[in-house]
Amino acid sequence: MGDKAGGKGGAKSALKTPLSSGFELNNGSTKSRKGMNVQFEFEDRGGKRDKAANGGKNPVKKPTPPLQLRVEQELPENVTCLMDCEAAQVLEGIQEQMVVLSEDPAIKIPASFDKGLQRAKRGNNYTSLQSVQEVLQNLKKHGVADSELCLIANIHPESADEVFSLVPSLKGKKNKLLEPLNSALDELSKIECSA
Amino acid sequence: MFLKAQLQWNVIIPADNLDAKGLALQKAIIVRLMDEFAAKKATSSLGYFLAVTSLDKVGEGRVREHSGDVLFPVTFTCLTYKAFSGEVLEGEVHKILKHGVFIRCGPVENIYLSHLKMQGYSFVPGENPIFMSEKAAKIEKGVKLRVMVIGVRYMEAEKEFQAVANLDGDFLGPI
Repeated sequence: MGDKAGGKGGAKSALKTPLSSGFELNNGSTKSRKGMNVQFEFEDRGGKRDKAANGGKNPVKKPTPPLQLRVEQELPENVTCLMDCEAAQVLEGIQEQMVVLSEDPAIKIPASFDKGLQRAKRGNNYTSLQSVQEVLQNLKKHGVADSELCLIANIHPESADEVFSLVPSLKGKKNKLLEPLNSALDELSKIECSA
Repeated sequence: MFLKAQLQWNVIIPADNLDAKGLALQKAIIVRLMDEFAAKKATSSLGYFLAVTSLDKVGEGRVREHSGDVLFPVTFTCLTYKAFSGEVLEGEVHKILKHGVFIRCGPVENIYLSHLKMQGYSFVPGENPIFMSEKAAKIEKGVKLRVMVIGVRYMEAEKEFQAVANLDGDFLGPI
C-alpha cells in the first residue's frame, strides 16, 4: 500500500529504496544518499533488465493482472460468507429483540451492530431471500465460489459484462459461465425491489 | 462482506453466579459471552464483530483453583463484517481532502480513495470542497460510490481497519 507505481505509458519507475539494498543504477540516473527517495529512468533493454531492490521488477510497465478476490484462501475454518440480504435478515431479527435486550443493563450490544445493520439493509434489494439463494445455487454448480456468489448478489449487476469486469476471478470460466450467468441475472432482476 | 463464524471461547463465570437451578447459570454464560464479544470489537481474521446469533454448545465447566470461578468452553455462531482486497463495495463519502476522499461502508469508516485512483476527477476547493469530473459528475459528501478495495490493513491497537480503494475501472463510480 505504501508503494507508488508511476510510469503510465512510459518507462519510468519511482522507487523508494535506500542505496544499501544494492541495486544497479542505469546511466542517467541519480545517486543519492542512503535513505533519500530517488527517481530513476530506465531504458527498455529488451531481454536484459536492471536489478532493483524488489527483486528484478520489470521497469517497463506491463499490464498488472486485475486484483482477484481471494476470500476463501484468507478465511479461517468454520467461517462462511453471507450475502447482504442474508445478513440483513439475521440482523433485523436481532433488532426486533433489541427492546427486550436493552432492558437488561448487563447485556452489551457490540458497537458495530448498528452500522452493520444499516449496511446490510442498504444491500438488501431483493423481495425473497430464498429465491436469491436458489438462483445462485445454480451458479455454484458451474464452479462459482461462495464469495463470488455473495459479491454478485451484493452488487446487483445488470449484465454479464458487469460481473466479469467486477469479479475478474470469473473471467477464466467466461465461456462456461456466460449462459448460466445471464439466466441467473435475469432471475435476480425479477426478484429485485425497485429502489 | 458479511461473514458467519462458529467460534469457541472460554467463558469464566464467577462463583457467586453459579446457581443450583441452572437457569441463572445459562443466562450468566450468555451475558458474559456477549460482554466479551462486545469488548473484543474486531480481529484481523474476522473483521468487525456485529452480533452473536446462536449459542451452539456449552461444555463442561472446569473449576479454576485459587479463585473458585468456573470456566466453560462455549461454542457459538456470530456475524462479522470484513472488507477484502478485490471486493467491490458501495460506500458513502464522508470526508473530502485535496488528495482524495474517505468513504465509509458499514463499520469500516476509513476507506481511502486517492485522487490518483480517480482518473478524470479534479479537486475543486471551497467551503464545501468536491471532486468534479470532466463530464460534470460530482463527488461530494454524502455521495455513494462503487469502488474496488485494493488493500486492507488492520490496526491492532485501535482495533480498526483501514482500506484503500480504486475508482478507475469499468462499472465503478458514483451511483
